Amino acid sequence: MTRSFAERLTGLRAAASKFFYGMTGYEFARHAVEMRHELEAVFMVVTFGDLIGVPVLPPVYSLRLLPYVVPEIATWKRHMARRREFWEKDEYDLHGL
Amino acid sequence: MNTLLAVIIGAVTVYLAYTLYARRIDRRVIQADPKRATPATLYMDGVDFMPTNRNILFGYHFKSIAAAGPIIGAIVAANLWGWLPAIIWLILGVSFLGWASDYSGIVISVRNEGNSLSAIAHRLVSPRTRSILFVFIFFYLLLVAGAFVGIMATVLEAQPKTQLGVIVLTVMGLLLGQMLYRWRTGLVGATVLTVGVTLIAILGGGFTEEVFKAFNAGLNSLSGGAPLVTYFDPTLANFKGADAKLMPSLLFWALAISAFCYAGSVLPIWRMAQPVIYVGFWITALSMVLGLTGALVAPFLKPEVAQFVIPAFKGFNVQLGPAGIMPLWPMLFVTIACGAISGWHALFGAVGTARQIQNEADMLPIGGGSMFAEFLLGLLALLAVSVGAKGAPVGAFATGLGGFISVWGLPIQYATSLAFAAFIVIVLVVTQLLFRVQRITLSEWLGDVIPPVRNQHVASLICVALAILLMMTGTWVYLWQLFGGANQMMAALSLLLVTVWLASVGKNWLYAGLPALFMYLTTLASLLVTAYNIYANVYNPNLAAGRMIPVVGSGLMVLVALLLVAAAVLIGIDGWRAFQRYRRHPVTQPRPAAARA
Repeated sequence: MTRSFAERLTGLRAAASKFFYGMTGYEFARHAVEMRHELEAVFMVVTFGDLIGVPVLPPVYSLRLLPYVVPEIATWKRHMARRREFWEKDEYDLHGL
Repeated sequence: MNTLLAVIIGAVTVYLAYTLYARRIDRRVIQADPKRATPATLYMDGVDFMPTNRNILFGYHFKSIAAAGPIIGAIVAANLWGWLPAIIWLILGVSFLGWASDYSGIVISVRNEGNSLSAIAHRLVSPRTRSILFVFIFFYLLLVAGAFVGIMATVLEAQPKTQLGVIVLTVMGLLLGQMLYRWRTGLVGATVLTVGVTLIAILGGGFTEEVFKAFNAGLNSLSGGAPLVTYFDPTLANFKGADAKLMPSLLFWALAISAFCYAGSVLPIWRMAQPVIYVGFWITALSMVLGLTGALVAPFLKPEVAQFVIPAFKGFNVQLGPAGIMPLWPMLFVTIACGAISGWHALFGAVGTARQIQNEADMLPIGGGSMFAEFLLGLLALLAVSVGAKGAPVGAFATGLGGFISVWGLPIQYATSLAFAAFIVIVLVVTQLLFRVQRITLSEWLGDVIPPVRNQHVASLICVALAILLMMTGTWVYLWQLFGGANQMMAALSLLLVTVWLASVGKNWLYAGLPALFMYLTTLASLLVTAYNIYANVYNPNLAAGRMIPVVGSGLMVLVALLLVAAAVLIGIDGWRAFQRYRRHPVTQPRPAAARA
């Protein structure tokens, strides 16, 4: 179905807006997510580290936290086990040359 | 020749390359499948693996790869060989090699579970490939750090009008980080404030020019007007070579830049590096957009700034210094690095982007399209230096770009200040990241053998000291060409890896294999030529004159060049063996499950 000129223009405007966001604010949003994720990963290691073989004694409140954490466990395990290069660690965001 | 014609030729050529060649490869060879699951949809973790809209990702990826490389390369090449070979290589390079390298780097990562190229090289080629890549990365960063620190110190010292803008940029960057991450200010308001103040400082740099001139003069009076180091610079006296002087003011600005980069290297990235890059991006983007649009309409509105004034072609082997050679092949192909093809993009830029690709049909527009867009940056730099030939290469670039910007009504002196500032800013923000990654690479590479290197401050100071030493050899052109050789060699290696992968899955590997072979031979030759040039034009004259600092620095550069050649030969041998192995026995890859709705 062919699009009208107005629809094409709206689509172009939306694309340009997203492109602009990708060049400006998106990096900050990503970095904020990464910073939060690293804190959460540390928290998970401290409370549920035994799930990935880290010898931590589960704290007494880990059972209380379990219902909230269960949806994240598989993703967290995959994240921790994934092989990473040293430049992929947090805060080492790279930029072009 | 004028700017409008050059842009039309460039734009039409790359459009044809994208639609007729790149799309054909995407459809027939890679067979991008919109229904196939990507790592972003398979392993969605909301952090690294996150399906992202195509247009957002295009903007993000383009901003990640577009930096100072295409600008400086075009400036140097136009001055050495003329504008014609430079524009031909820019166009042909991006049309047949550059887009293929960037696009393939994303494809190979997407089709291999989002792994980085070094991890894939470890599996497909040999374990030592990954280790050798570390060698490349470190020296590549060291060379470009030395080149950038040298260029920036020279420009800052010679242009007192720009110094206020750089100082304010640093302060505004720190303020922006504090506002966004600690005070939780909105991005729009913070942007308007910080970018606005920085722009005012840049445009008002003329008011503080006398102050900084007096400051520089005061610094030079500390040594009684005598230079700290005298070295032979082959680029002076119309490329015949002459003695150059490292004055205290130049060393001061080199140390100031180094201090800036040291802070950017050790502070948390949200505190300084990221916000400074963001503010710098606005300055540069404004200049480039005004410049490119100005170049398009200049023949109609202000024809005097649109005509090319430098020679089209200066010869196949130009003179640089009393000895040494500068043949068109292979040196042009490493002098213009990032605007035509760049290994850095494939090695680093691909990974973050590849893990956010939500649909395989996005790989070409994002990977290939970004590289074609970066070509425009290189073209703009070439146009600027071709019309603004006045004085040193960077001065010619700023004059030309200032002329384009002035088409829109800004007085020429402010437009030129903005152009100078844009140049310094784009180089400065990249350099601080260079030192950051260099520090990390050094720690990773030597941390087990020399434990103090694991300390971020020790590693950063070592990197800064080495960059200053290289800068004090005075030959940033050779540093740039060595960097270009290392960068293009990494491009050759990434294309080689893609070729091996294509052979391993039974696909036609020619579109990557032929560029890989061309770049590999070209960069090997260029590294050897540059090593010879440094020995003949820098090491020997300075040794004869008893100047030990340039002797040590140039000796180090020759050793680095030879080390890179040895590393490239090893990777080439391993890559060839792997290619032969997989060509005889391709491996069928299991197809991943369909994406969840």
